[in-house]
Amino acid sequence: MSVSYLFLEIMVVLTGLGLLLIDLWTPAVHKRRLGYAAAAVTALILALSFSKMVDPGAPVHAFGGLFVQDAFALFFKRFFLVAAVLVLLMEVEFADRIPAGITEYYAVTLFALAGMMTAASANDFTLLFVALELMAVTFYVLASFQRSRVASLEAGVKYLILGALSSAILVYGIALIYGSTGTMNFTKIAEQSARLKESKIAVLGFLFVLVGLGFKVGVVPMQIWVPDVYQGAPTPTSAFLAVGSKAAGFALLLRVLHGAAPEVALSWERLLMILSGLTILYGSLCAIPQRNLKRLLGYSSIANAGYLFIGVSVGTLSGASAVLYYLAGYLFAVVAAFFVICVVSKTHDSEDISELAGLWNRSPLLASVLSLSMVSLAGVPPLAGFFGKFLLLKAAAEQAVSYPGYYVLLSVAVVGVVISVYYYFGVVRAIFWSRDDQELSAIPISRPVKAALWVCVAGMVLLGVLPSWGVRVTAAAAGMLKF
Amino acid sequence: MMHAGLEHYLVVSFLLFSIGLIGVVARRNLLVIYMSLELMLNAANLALVAMSRFNGNLDGQVLVFFIITVAAAEVAVGLALIVALFRKRQSAHVEDLTSLKL
Repeated sequence: MSVSYLFLEIMVVLTGLGLLLIDLWTPAVHKRRLGYAAAAVTALILALSFSKMVDPGAPVHAFGGLFVQDAFALFFKRFFLVAAVLVLLMEVEFADRIPAGITEYYAVTLFALAGMMTAASANDFTLLFVALELMAVTFYVLASFQRSRVASLEAGVKYLILGALSSAILVYGIALIYGSTGTMNFTKIAEQSARLKESKIAVLGFLFVLVGLGFKVGVVPMQIWVPDVYQGAPTPTSAFLAVGSKAAGFALLLRVLHGAAPEVALSWERLLMILSGLTILYGSLCAIPQRNLKRLLGYSSIANAGYLFIGVSVGTLSGASAVLYYLAGYLFAVVAAFFVICVVSKTHDSEDISELAGLWNRSPLLASVLSLSMVSLAGVPPLAGFFGKFLLLKAAAEQAVSYPGYYVLLSVAVVGVVISVYYYFGVVRAIFWSRDDQELSAIPISRPVKAALWVCVAGMVLLGVLPSWGVRVTAAAAGMLKF
Repeated sequence: MMHAGLEHYLVVSFLLFSIGLIGVVARRNLLVIYMSLELMLNAANLALVAMSRFNGNLDGQVLVFFIITVAAAEVAVGLALIVALFRKRQSAHVEDLTSLKL
């Protein structure tokens, strides 16, 4: 039955609806704890994703080719589920800063998760659009959830205007592609791929789709919203945007460019390389003067989108699997960083880097997790971030033999890494060697937060030290795309 | 009488799209920007319906239904946000969205 392949998505949506229902009978003091229940059920769904019913082994097309369940889709679904479990735990920690409707916050997060998971399986522009919009509309709500803070509302409005603009462009692109191919289905479009390269309307359509998806991942020139929204939105939302929304964008970019239009993607190699180089430089250079931690992570996420874009532009199996591996390492590092910000900024309403002064004395665990995450993001061995960057650069170097332009991109990437070491270590310096007035009260950490932080640490370390298993899984997932 | 071909519909849809895009870029009032965004979505709808008619299958029209639904959801969220912001700021102009800066 086709419906059984939708099992995970249906479960996620039902969990969200169930939470809203249970909320009616829960006294206000206990509502915060519903987040633990939501995280537990999401973890259960993650475990169920390994069952035979959901994971058919071979790729399966369902709903008339609209939906595909393959290793690539399942990789991303599990990725989003892991991210959602961690983000839900972060939201419980954040609950006292949300004046009303904390259960809605959990539920809307789950609906966004359902959108991402559906996006991972999209094999048709109709489903791609609906899944992306489910994500976008829920994120408009999530970003502006702290209605009493102007910054949060402003982040929501900015994301809304630019998000709606990008989806209008995306839809127009879909219309153009549909006009020149007569179908919305990726598999059927791929059959005409060689002809599409010649059709100006189709190429313009794919360019518009690239703009729409590029907005989601925050690639230059569609990156303007990233720093503002990351800074203004509630911390768990910023984390989910940085990890989930970006990964969904990359999943769809890979599917559309290398699944539906490999010839077009090939002819765009230079364009994608230029975008990637510009994104790396923009993110790294603009991050240098930042004092707000969340804004800094916003610029760092732009730079990371640039690195990931290298893998998209390469257009080989090793490039695509490097993208998946990098995203996995990025997930743990970024969630860990936002977790620490969430806990540290609990007492003051400030996310300034100077707030980290004396963190080592206040809480060695938080200090070491944040440092570890910064070191991983900077790409220092032996952590996950290093191995991800290594795989991406290796994939580009393999192509450089036939196309020397990659040497330029490689050097840009190396320059970006060097700059990023500077600003990431600015954070580490603030933790350990800051001379500011230090507050020495210990920071209490609840047990679920500790568990989540250890999961992130384990992810960062294991993906860096024992890469062979991860490489095998990502290669199998990326192998589902046609190269 | 002249028969309206695909290109006529596409030209109209392209004009609508351009007017919408110019509105988003040039206007300063959030509500007007929002209306311009709807115009862009409807430009895409027109193109989809016309192409669906001339391609001889209904896929495009199915997507139009989804776009209309999504646009309604987006408007619901968007207007709520703009109202909430107006209550805080007493303004719906983009120049006043300046609290997030370096």
